[in-house]
Amino acid sequence: MSSLDILLLVSLITAIISGIGQNLRFIGWVNSALLILQLIILMFMGSLGYGGDIIHSAMNFDVLNQPLSWRYDAVSWFFALITLGSAIASALFSAGAWGDDFRTQGGKPGLLQFSLSLNVFAMLLLLGSGDLISLFVGWELVSWAGLLLMVFAGGKSAETGIRYIVYATAGAMAVLAGLAYVFHLTGSFSYESLANTSESLSILQITSLSLLFVFGFGVKMGLLPFHLWQAGAYAETPGPASSFLGAISSRMGLYAILIVIIQLIGILRLVAVEVPYTFLSLRDLLMWVAAFTIIFPTFTALRQNDARRLLAWHGIGQGGYMLMGILLLDPFGSAGGLMHVFNHATYQAALFLSVSAVIYRTRTSDLNQLGGLVTRMPLSFLVMLVGIIGLAGIPPMNGFVSKWLIYRALLVEGMPLLFVATVIGTLGTILSVYKLLHNTFLGQLRLEHEHVREVSWSMLAPMLIFATLVFMTGFMPGLVLDWVASAQVAMNIPPLEHTLGGVESSYGSLDMIWICGVLFGGFGVGALLFYSGNPAKRVHQLDNYAGGHFLTADTRYHYSNNFYAGLMHHIGGWYRGTFAWLEASLISIMGLISGSAQNLYLSFHPALYALITASLALYFLVG
Amino acid sequence: MNSIALNIALPLLTAFLLPIMSPHVSSFGRWIGPLVLAAMLLFSFQHFQALDAPEMVALGGFLPPMGISFHIDHLALLMLMAIPLLLLMMWPYGKTKSREEALMLLLAAAASGMALSGDLFNIYVFYELLSVASFGLAAANRTAGAFAASFRYVVISSLGTVLALTGIALIYTQTGTLNLAHIGALANQLQNPVSYTAFTLIVIGVGVKAELFPVNSWVPEVYATATARVTAIFAGLVSKLAVLVIVRMLVVAYGGSDVMNILLVLGMLGILTGELAAWRAQDLRRMFAFSSIGQLGMVLVAFSIPGKAGIIAGIAMMFHHLLVKPALFLFTDQWSGNLNRLSGIGKKSPMAVALFLLFALSLIGIPPLPGFWAKLLLVTGLVGTASPLYLTALFVLLTATVIETHYLMRVAKVMIAGEQKSSPSRFLELGILNITLISIFAAGLVLIVLNLTSVSDQLALIADETSNRMLYIGTSYPELTNTLGVK
Repeated sequence: MSSLDILLLVSLITAIISGIGQNLRFIGWVNSALLILQLIILMFMGSLGYGGDIIHSAMNFDVLNQPLSWRYDAVSWFFALITLGSAIASALFSAGAWGDDFRTQGGKPGLLQFSLSLNVFAMLLLLGSGDLISLFVGWELVSWAGLLLMVFAGGKSAETGIRYIVYATAGAMAVLAGLAYVFHLTGSFSYESLANTSESLSILQITSLSLLFVFGFGVKMGLLPFHLWQAGAYAETPGPASSFLGAISSRMGLYAILIVIIQLIGILRLVAVEVPYTFLSLRDLLMWVAAFTIIFPTFTALRQNDARRLLAWHGIGQGGYMLMGILLLDPFGSAGGLMHVFNHATYQAALFLSVSAVIYRTRTSDLNQLGGLVTRMPLSFLVMLVGIIGLAGIPPMNGFVSKWLIYRALLVEGMPLLFVATVIGTLGTILSVYKLLHNTFLGQLRLEHEHVREVSWSMLAPMLIFATLVFMTGFMPGLVLDWVASAQVAMNIPPLEHTLGGVESSYGSLDMIWICGVLFGGFGVGALLFYSGNPAKRVHQLDNYAGGHFLTADTRYHYSNNFYAGLMHHIGGWYRGTFAWLEASLISIMGLISGSAQNLYLSFHPALYALITASLALYFLVG
Repeated sequence: MNSIALNIALPLLTAFLLPIMSPHVSSFGRWIGPLVLAAMLLFSFQHFQALDAPEMVALGGFLPPMGISFHIDHLALLMLMAIPLLLLMMWPYGKTKSREEALMLLLAAAASGMALSGDLFNIYVFYELLSVASFGLAAANRTAGAFAASFRYVVISSLGTVLALTGIALIYTQTGTLNLAHIGALANQLQNPVSYTAFTLIVIGVGVKAELFPVNSWVPEVYATATARVTAIFAGLVSKLAVLVIVRMLVVAYGGSDVMNILLVLGMLGILTGELAAWRAQDLRRMFAFSSIGQLGMVLVAFSIPGKAGIIAGIAMMFHHLLVKPALFLFTDQWSGNLNRLSGIGKKSPMAVALFLLFALSLIGIPPLPGFWAKLLLVTGLVGTASPLYLTALFVLLTATVIETHYLMRVAKVMIAGEQKSSPSRFLELGILNITLISIFAAGLVLIVLNLTSVSDQLALIADETSNRMLYIGTSYPELTNTLGVK
């Protein structure tokens, strides 16, 4: 029994325990402890993160004469680490005061814990898959466990959950078709046989395989044009669940793409495929899909007035960066893409948790109904500040490092247009995260929020830990880049030459320790100047004047509605809702066809059908 | 005489005795029926255990082509076990209606006969018997709707039997025999338009019961108006026996010929129309009725794949449906009517809804549930043919799965997330018997999951045996094989 078996077993036991003990008050703590135990076991497998050998599971069996097996390599380990980290944050956050509050509102915190640990188990299983069948089994388990996490609270989330599962099933069916195609081509479901035959496959075969898999796995990532489900599904579920979903769930799609497209089929094969009537290769096409996945959802996020939806839309956009980085395949780009998975998980979890903290206190996530909470919830503010700096990709947070790597790779590889596309995306990100922070914490405090207090420590602790992670891995990116480099080696990509502070290579260098030093030096000087000046006069937050007039507290002067009115004046016309329109049209077409299908069965000339069919068949055969 | 014939004789005899005895011994039907079925189960199980290779039983010692012969292989015995098992579970316990009991036994006899028969004429006779029994059962609850629906069933079914009989006659004109093995040995005389016509007519005729598009328009109404138990028998068992006839003909004589395309196209249309209509259905009964049309379409598409890949996928799909659909229909025993009635039922009976989800997920094909492995076989089989028509079928199948997911999850949503009705109606409770039966089916599913390796090995063996044309001919007609020199 290897350490991998122990990990999977403990994970399964965790899910069972939290399932059985759902109604216990303290189940959240038990579940958190068990998840931490899983993390510890994963740490014992830590050699994987530093170039250790693949760990195989003793669990394997044959179905239909096809062997199923499980194993962990550096990539699996890296993703498993992020999975467990995000899960622990959510579990801890909801174990204490949040869970009690949720229960008094009629929610089931125990069910949340169960769904969390079930998701973790499914993901750990998926990450360990050692052949295409076990990959698909894990994939479906993750999909359906994810559904549970999305809809467990009922209400509006049920609707978005159904939309999700339809998209997910469509994706899974594409994967299934791809799987069968691989079996047809290679006679086996094993990774090796696909990797070995990939060289000899024709252009058409490569194209259809790649498209099936990218479409299938891309649905989970919210790749354009299959992104419509994600924001709603991730945002409508209670806070800690959306934190977990936003942090890691859709990355499973990326993991599967890594396995199948990068490791097995090989990017070089995709580069060789020309897309007809264009000057693009198949890889370029996918990179443009990634670019549009960055731009459109990010600018959709800009228009959101719900904090959770805003973040969820960004989650889709950030997935585009990851895919783009990985498709670049050079040491810089792929390291950027992989590291962004880690970075995104840390800041997204922090952001979602901080939004959940605000919801917990104010009962709303409507950005037009908040404001001025910075003095009431200073630590939550700090967490969100750190988070949005990470999300926007600004130093000194970790998001900057990964995005820098991707930018650098795009420039070095000579892809200026894609570079511009990513920069446009980043612009949209900066604009919208500022809106998030401003409308929540800055500006005018609402009267009804005057007595809001900071949340309790059980909720603050995971938030602060994740905010610290966002900063620490930005300050010393080498910590993460070690694991990333091992993952690159596992995928046969030349690893990134890195140091503790960043990158040291002939293609470009980055030292975050220096950057942080300069940055904080600058801040220090500013702070010195600020505090050595005249002492500021403290006024109450509701004590406001404008043009010499006293403003009563119920006068709204805080500019939050229609936040970017000026910008929208220029770009508002571009929002056409084309994808939503396409989806709606598809549904109405289906309604039409299904109506006639039903009529066919309910009309009263069955014998006529029999005769017609018989004659048609005879005509076909004899004629 | 081989005791396997008892599987036909015993229920047949009892069925005729029942109306005579019941007026005198009121409890006669209540215990004799289950007893006979249990005996049938025992016989067939014993045979299944003892059978190494397929064998032929000539009744009364008259050898084919003159005598009546049974072809006994693992697939036939599997069906033979499924028949009494399912009927035992769906037996109208607690109701003393000897008519219904007699019809059930008649059905058991006819079904067993169809599974075993080795010649077309007997298949036809048993098929007619099966039809008669099923007409009666369809109208057994004596509601106006049920009568109207069964009338429709009778009309289309009789047309079907006429078509099938014509087909059989045509085959007789071509080969001069009705023994399947003999026909198989003369298969090279059958590669002409007339015999293709014959096959098509048989497929359409038998297809009435196999829910083949478009002769399946009786399905939604009959399934919606008959009792849940009868519906479960029709969807689970009767349809599979009709499929079995088609499979036997495919294996012995028509494998690899153009006529498979007819199965493929009709199956495809069945999937498409069935699933789409189910998507629109507003009550659980009709939804499952349409979905079973779709599922049977998948089975037919599977069998239309040439070679062993098709047989194994078809058998897997067939038995999976046999396991899942009856259970789902049992739910509708109480959960019928408009879907909104089920609103919030998950809060009241969470276990029942959990079981419902288990079956729904297996039907969709979520690993590691059995439905997934069956679907995997089907998908790999379809891709393996690498022909455009089959790839179209693959596309249809995958799209249908998405549609299936949507409507089943929509139901789940109503059940779990819907507003709980203010006055919870007691008739929504499934009752202890239904829950027990459903649990047995669920246990079956779980057992298969736990024994995936051995089940899949067994399946491969049965598929090997079934798809082996020479084995069939050689078993059922040894002298012929010798004289023709075919090995």
